[in-house]
Amino acid sequence: MRKTSEYYTGVMDITPLAMGVAVYGVAFGLLAAQAQMSSLQTAMMGLFVFAGGSQIVATERLVADAGAIAAITAGVALNLRMLLMTAALRDDLKGRPLWQILLGAHYTTDENWALLHAKRAKGVDVGYWYFISGGAFIMLIWIISTVAGVSFASLVPEPKSIGVDFAFTAAFIAILCSLWRGKEDLFPWIISISTAVLLASLAPIETSWALVIGGVVGALSAGVLSGKSRDYDLESVGG
Amino acid sequence: MSEQDIVIIGLALATFAIRIGGFYLGSRLPETGFWAASFNALPGCLIASLLAVMLVAGGTQEYIAAGLSLTIALTTRNLPLTMVAGILSIWALRHFEMFV
Repeated sequence: MRKTSEYYTGVMDITPLAMGVAVYGVAFGLLAAQAQMSSLQTAMMGLFVFAGGSQIVATERLVADAGAIAAITAGVALNLRMLLMTAALRDDLKGRPLWQILLGAHYTTDENWALLHAKRAKGVDVGYWYFISGGAFIMLIWIISTVAGVSFASLVPEPKSIGVDFAFTAAFIAILCSLWRGKEDLFPWIISISTAVLLASLAPIETSWALVIGGVVGALSAGVLSGKSRDYDLESVGG
Repeated sequence: MSEQDIVIIGLALATFAIRIGGFYLGSRLPETGFWAASFNALPGCLIASLLAVMLVAGGTQEYIAAGLSLTIALTTRNLPLTMVAGILSIWALRHFEMFV
């Protein structure tokens, strides 16, 4: 796909997800107001941290008076999954100028990353600029909505009361459906889900660790399975 | 410098290190065989795991809304429509206090 049309479809495809981001942005703005953050600080945090979940967790720690170190640690724990996400972008970033690698890394969010892979699983040829335009649009919406939230904190309804807290759960259900590549995904996904559920509900660890470990264990099981099926193919060819 | 500024700068630096570190880590792993198969499976596994963690925190209403969203997702293959269906169903379940 050409660069300009990638830009255009990137923004179009991310728009419904960006609406969900706006809701979270306003919710984060309310929290930032409780943490006595200014509009400028909120905008800077959106621009330079640009990771909604970790901003919410860290700021919630600030409101709870846990201190700066505890706030940063909680935010970092939630962002560990990004290590895996940008690792999976290696083929998209490799060989590009340094500024494009840095930009691509910084613009990595759950939304444009999942959308990129979901599109490809459907056989649509999308690449770096599709990913960047989605990320840029999410950033724009994130900064506008968080600053609006912190500025007009007293006027905003609670997200849970109107059901919009469920927006991303539904979005990720749809994205997971389009990530399905075939029956070879079944076993790794079951491994991921059961590992994450077991760790999140039984182990005394942050749920972010349960998420990351679940994802890694499932992916590794796919690696093991592919080795097995290749051995089998070789045997059947040899026999 | 205020505590808020320390958190903003600290979290920004740490998050960027994670993002760029993941890319360099990924670049060093082999491109065929076991690691390649694991990497190709990673997006689906990570989103499956993320959803599992999100839903574990919920209750019966969230499970039902998730089931309805899944049905819509599978039948329509449409992202915005699935989001609307999810929001409407969780709103209705809570508003009418069903399956509390």
